[in-house]
Amino acid sequence: MNKIVNINLGGYPFTIDEDAYAYLQKYLKTIKRHFSDSEGCEEILYDIEVRMAELFQDRVKGSGIVNMKNLDEVIKILGKPEDFGADPIDMDREEPVRQRRRTDHGHTVRTGKKLFRNPEDKILGGVAGGLAAYFGINDAVWVRIAFVVLSFSGIGILPYIILWIIVPEAKSAGDKLEMRGEPVNVNNIARTVESELSELSERLTEMTKDFGKEFKSKKKF
Amino acid sequence: MKLENTVAQMRRGILELCVLSIISDEEAYPSDIIEKLKASELIVVEGTLYPLLNRLKNANLLQYRWKESKSGPPRKYYQLTKEGEEFLAGLVETWQQLNHAVNQSTKKLQEK
Repeated sequence: MNKIVNINLGGYPFTIDEDAYAYLQKYLKTIKRHFSDSEGCEEILYDIEVRMAELFQDRVKGSGIVNMKNLDEVIKILGKPEDFGADPIDMDREEPVRQRRRTDHGHTVRTGKKLFRNPEDKILGGVAGGLAAYFGINDAVWVRIAFVVLSFSGIGILPYIILWIIVPEAKSAGDKLEMRGEPVNVNNIARTVESELSELSERLTEMTKDFGKEFKSKKKF
Repeated sequence: MKLENTVAQMRRGILELCVLSIISDEEAYPSDIIEKLKASELIVVEGTLYPLLNRLKNANLLQYRWKESKSGPPRKYYQLTKEGEEFLAGLVETWQQLNHAVNQSTKKLQEK
């Protein structure tokens, strides 16, 4: 059993299996992306869609439903994206999320970085760790050195204190992703939470080991 | 330097010449054009032809008219414009010169 979708292809109505629909959509998007710079992109795509419609009409006379096999045949005639010189279809590829501001509903995801204090990489307030994440510096030690140099150069430690006060701490998994500029989606949040959990369990095992050692050493006495 | 890139460049220029000369024989529908090109292995899939036709049309070398089809949507049939005919004549002349030049300079290689 398969779900079906109704579509309008080149001005003609078709009923298409859901999996074939998903693939067709990727196919057209990939081609569109490839031609988006060339003059007459809309027309080229329209021509291709109309031709697809024509080829489908020849093929679905019996059942009236376009399936994956029909689509394969048609793509063989028209050509895969790589035959056009485009990138091959990648069904796993997620469409790049455009820079979207968080809406009032708060559920819209966006990419782009936000400055947070980093609780996972901190000595005092996590300001240097957060700045390092924000500017993509691998090791926060350089930022810390900069702060130390600043504090001796007459400017003092005031900038650090101000940042400590005004920059929020990255508390949630979403905050931490935003801090590093990774898109906030379910997969990434899950990954962050997972890594936090495994860190926690590592710490626990270490603690138990230490505790065990201590216990043993005490026993000797 | 990659052989594929050079070959692709050579083909591209020649493809325009072939498409224009196929259309100059008679009004043509893309899938007719593709059949003839496939025979000569110049092009393998239809999709690559649409951008080319579009480019030639935008350069005023081609024009098209809609023709009703027995089954399915109306089709675009392409024909050469006056400019297109002149362009093709220029291409054919250049091709003959090139063909001669290439044969002359690769004579030894071809005889091997």
